[in-house]
Amino acid sequence: MRLADVNFSTIDGVLVAHLFGEIDISNAVELAAAVSDRTPNDAAGVVLDLSDVEYLDSGGIHMLYRLRESLRARGQSLAIVVPAASPVIDAMRLAGIERHLELAETLEDGLGKVVPRPNGEPTSSHCSKGG
Amino acid sequence: MTMQESRGAGTDAPKLGLGQIALRMSGSVAAPTEQVRNLNRLTDPALSELGLDALLDELLERVKEALSVDTVAILLHDADSQQLVARAARGIEEEVEQGVRIPIGRGFAGRIAAERVAIYIADVDHADILNPILREKGISSLLGIPLIVEGNLIGVLHVGSITPRTFGERDLAVLQVAAARAAPAIERARLLAELEREHEVAILLQRSLLPRRLPQVAGISVAARYLAARDEVGGDWYDVIELPRGLIGVVIGDVVGHGIRAAALMGQLRTSLRSYAQEGHGAARTLELVDRFTQAAGDGAMATAAYAVFDPARGTLRFASAGHLPPVHVAGGTARLVEITPSAPLGAFPYGSVPEHTMTLGTDELLVLYTDGLVERRGVALNEGLDGLVKTLRPAASAEDACLLAVSELDATHGPRDDVAIVALHNQPIPAELRLRLPAEPSVLADLRRQLRRWLRERGAAGDELLEITMAVSEACANAVEHAYSPAPATFDVRASESAGEVTIAVRDSGRWRPPRGRNRGRGLRIIESAMDDVTVASTNTGTEITMRRRLGR
Repeated sequence: MRLADVNFSTIDGVLVAHLFGEIDISNAVELAAAVSDRTPNDAAGVVLDLSDVEYLDSGGIHMLYRLRESLRARGQSLAIVVPAASPVIDAMRLAGIERHLELAETLEDGLGKVVPRPNGEPTSSHCSKGG
Repeated sequence: MTMQESRGAGTDAPKLGLGQIALRMSGSVAAPTEQVRNLNRLTDPALSELGLDALLDELLERVKEALSVDTVAILLHDADSQQLVARAARGIEEEVEQGVRIPIGRGFAGRIAAERVAIYIADVDHADILNPILREKGISSLLGIPLIVEGNLIGVLHVGSITPRTFGERDLAVLQVAAARAAPAIERARLLAELEREHEVAILLQRSLLPRRLPQVAGISVAARYLAARDEVGGDWYDVIELPRGLIGVVIGDVVGHGIRAAALMGQLRTSLRSYAQEGHGAARTLELVDRFTQAAGDGAMATAAYAVFDPARGTLRFASAGHLPPVHVAGGTARLVEITPSAPLGAFPYGSVPEHTMTLGTDELLVLYTDGLVERRGVALNEGLDGLVKTLRPAASAEDACLLAVSELDATHGPRDDVAIVALHNQPIPAELRLRLPAEPSVLADLRRQLRRWLRERGAAGDELLEITMAVSEACANAVEHAYSPAPATFDVRASESAGEVTIAVRDSGRWRPPRGRNRGRGLRIIESAMDDVTVASTNTGTEITMRRRLGR
């Protein structure tokens, strides 16, 4: 049985990765790679929706930082959706993640926190990966 | 023309071609009384007691005697190769030993088969004979007839004489009595062999479609049995499915019908149910979707099935049944049938809806699902069968135990009349002190957290403390897995105990503790320290032990 799963959708040029299940050292690297691979070069950024994640360990937190770095290198931003009642908020608080990553309580807030690219900036819409 | 022929009717059982071709009456034919006696010997009812080989041997011997011929042979029609294959012989045993094959339409026997007529050859030397053995034996005259059952050619029976001989109408009549005797027996034996093969294939298919091994889930034990019916394989199945969030699904089902078709449909339904279940649909919804699938399969496909989803963390069981018998709930030496609202079988009605039931499966309790073959016996009311099963299961102390008890009532020597599937689920008690030895692989962590959560809950932990302790222990175990080992296979140990409201959990590996690498490891240790009241790390040459304590309800 897979410990976690991920669904992708695109809203207003932002890739939304909705994760389900548990994230630990057994699957964190693969999940980050899946999100990274699915992000088109012309996407403004990524919203990682953790509303349905029940467990996140330090391996998962490490994955969030790595994902933020790889997106930043491509000029894209990352927002993470974690409702206040989420069981993973504890791990994130203990790791002090809110100081380094953009957190949002709802998907709508998360989408608002992904900085849109200024109009007219050249994008590489013809080389999008996955999608 | 050197060959005289007797042509019988071309269809159905061979008949004398009276009036069609004049047969010279032979002077050597036995006297009428003797012939009646010979005919009686061919129709002897005792012959039907014999197996096919013995029957053919006996029949050929009696034909040989009755007609005073030197050779008798039966060749069978092989539809695949369009050939006649020697099956039994007297006087020309070499034919069978050498596996003589004659193409349909060619030679003496081949023409009898192709034209479905009796053929008489007065002089072999001047005839079109394919089989060299006939010449080698010095046979002069031959008479042969086709063996036909319900319009189908199944072979050829022929007799031969070394001295030149005219076969007459009476000879033909005797041969036809023998043919009438042999043909149905041959056909019956062929059909039996075919059925036997189908039965074997169906059993093989059935076995290949059932789970090869059951999943191992912490705190739960499952056991299952499948017993093939003694006569015909059916479409019974069971399944145990690991579901998201540590849930476990248990399935029992029974496709209406028997044989390969039922077994094949069972395979489809099993896969369909697994797919919907793993998508995360609940018990009732999963059965509703399988119902739609069954409707779409067409051909009047129908099955009963029951599906239970168990949440070991909470001890809750969600249960749905589509026309299936109620499961048995075993708790503390008592057993009862679970009350269910009956709904239609899968495939019975378009847009059928299935109700969902919720019940608690407490610690050390069992749920047993089964198919009707276990409780249906000829001459016994279903209710009696169910009562018997409930009584039998009362003392069941484990899933394996439940299966053993359930099948103990069946007829051990002959096997069940119908096939039987059983699957039992046991909510195992969690010991007061948890001791686990786990392989040092990342994949074990999720299961470990589940066991720990259950253990903590039973010790009275709740809310944030449950989450935080689980997280701390999982981090310590991740450390043992990730950093204390070479790639060689290894294990680590977890021990958890509780005393006076304080839990103590120790994680021990046999590798050398490495200093935290990078920010990530630092974060892991920080999580452990902030989640627990007290953390000690003891590192020696033989391994590292991290001991964590936390007071509950602080």
